[in-house]
Amino acid sequence: MKRFLLKRILSGVLIIFISLLICFVLIHAAPGNPVTILAGHDNPSPEMIESLTEKYGLDKPLPMQFVNYLGTLLKGDLGYSIVSDKPVVTLIAEKIFPTLLLALTGVILAVVIGTMLGIYAARKKGSRFDVAVNSISYVFDSTPGFWLGLMMILLFASTFKLFPTAGMVDLRAGYTGSAKVLDILHHLFLPLLTVTLIQIPRFFRIARSSVIQIMSEDFITTFRAAGMKESQIFRDYVFKNAILPTVTLFGISLAYVLGGIVIVEIVFAWPGMGRLLMDAIMKRDYPLLMGIYLTLSVSISVTMLLVDIVYAAIDPRIRYE
Amino acid sequence: MSRLKDNKQLRNGIIFLTVILFVAAAAPLLATHDPFKLNEDILAAPGSKYLLGSDGLGRDVFSGIIYGARTSIMVGVIAAVISAVIGVVIGGIAGFFGGKTDLVISEIINIFLMLPSFFLILIVVALFGSNLFNMMIIIGLTTWTSNAKLMRAQALSLRERTFIKAQMTLGKSRGRILIEHIIPNGIFPIIANTTMNISQAILLESSLSFLGLGDPNLISWGQMVYQGKSYLVNGWWVSTFSGLAIVITVLAFYLIGDGLNNVLNPKLRAKK
Repeated sequence: MKRFLLKRILSGVLIIFISLLICFVLIHAAPGNPVTILAGHDNPSPEMIESLTEKYGLDKPLPMQFVNYLGTLLKGDLGYSIVSDKPVVTLIAEKIFPTLLLALTGVILAVVIGTMLGIYAARKKGSRFDVAVNSISYVFDSTPGFWLGLMMILLFASTFKLFPTAGMVDLRAGYTGSAKVLDILHHLFLPLLTVTLIQIPRFFRIARSSVIQIMSEDFITTFRAAGMKESQIFRDYVFKNAILPTVTLFGISLAYVLGGIVIVEIVFAWPGMGRLLMDAIMKRDYPLLMGIYLTLSVSISVTMLLVDIVYAAIDPRIRYE
Repeated sequence: MSRLKDNKQLRNGIIFLTVILFVAAAAPLLATHDPFKLNEDILAAPGSKYLLGSDGLGRDVFSGIIYGARTSIMVGVIAAVISAVIGVVIGGIAGFFGGKTDLVISEIINIFLMLPSFFLILIVVALFGSNLFNMMIIIGLTTWTSNAKLMRAQALSLRERTFIKAQMTLGKSRGRILIEHIIPNGIFPIIANTTMNISQAILLESSLSFLGLGDPNLISWGQMVYQGKSYLVNGWWVSTFSGLAIVITVLAFYLIGDGLNNVLNPKLRAKK
């Protein structure tokens, strides 16, 4: 187990390194740079451009810049945002909680609901419930998250005025304590519903197909023939085997949601990393962009590592030497 | 063949797709207005003059949706084909050649799987210019991993088959065996997967367009949803109908892909 962990951590670090390298090269190879944006459109003085370029180390050759970046990174320093001059760590720290709140709760809800629906549908295969949920799952799988979000706003916020259209807290009300938590939940509802609905079909389908597959295995037929109770077969044998693919999918989904949640955040003006990312891209804010990318890659790698560990723990057939 | 007929998903998907392809092909005949023309009626409600209403600049939504079908299908198909070609070549080489080549390629595939691809696509399109060409290339370059994995598995099992071994003994070059026998014999799962990838590519293109990173010279459904966002209250029809067009098209490809997969994998097929 120890060697397995070590190997997984090493490959995680390697992946983070490679994705940082790709991102770094892409960002710097792209046309446009932050200095021209900082220096302004109207007659920027050559001296100012020169001093700004020097200040941010953009005059050095690219490989040098990357090595410098990694050096400061290892000291835990993500550098300063070029546009706002604040530390990148502070900027990200301000925004990471709302993003994680939305992404994590969304995926966890989707796992629970999707898996339950999937298991139920599999046990009643061919029933009206099965057919209905199956068809609906296709539709939600084909729905773009941003459009679903807009429809939620149109329906529940603009027409029925049940939920706020945007933001995370009501700034004018200035709630504190439990009223603030309730206010956040009230704002969270629609974006969360959007993220969850989009994710449910994947979990529904994988749970349904793996339960169906396990139920058709010979050993289950043997149990049935031996007269074991259907509920016991399901609880002790089917469920344990059928849940494994869901664990893998959970990791992949979380990674996917973390990367794609930008759009849902923008639809609902949710104060997460989405807006920050779009601003960083538009203003060519290299350090901030790298910082956001790093945060994302690290979260994905850590999730994958956790998934592998959980997988090894619950599947007795997997023992890593 | 009777399996194909019995497959409901596949049948419905093909019906949907036929309609969409017809709409895309006959766009100039079906459109009631020039989709770029700024008409005088701004935010006109759906009615006899503007079937699905007009947008904030007076453009006809119905005609926009009709022409938008071309963009979506083009982006989806080309991006998915790029992804299929890369995946088939890389996966085929890994599976057929085996050994160290396979180890290295498999590791590369794993790394690519873990990259936050939407993020990369976003950065490339935003920084290198939001045109259709960049969009198709980068979507293709970041989505080939699933095809490579499928092709690798196919090649691994095919190379043990007698007819391949016979060719090897006859001294045919391995490159030629790969191209002439391994790939054609193992391509079917990749076709099913590519149909699914078309759905994904259409969704990705519409997401990028929704973020304002679409190709400004083309009509795309994602852009229409994006432009309609500002008029959600006074002109709900702009975003609603263009988004619906995305859902239907993605669904069509999705049903076909899933239907093909079910035909391939009889274990998952619903018992009658």
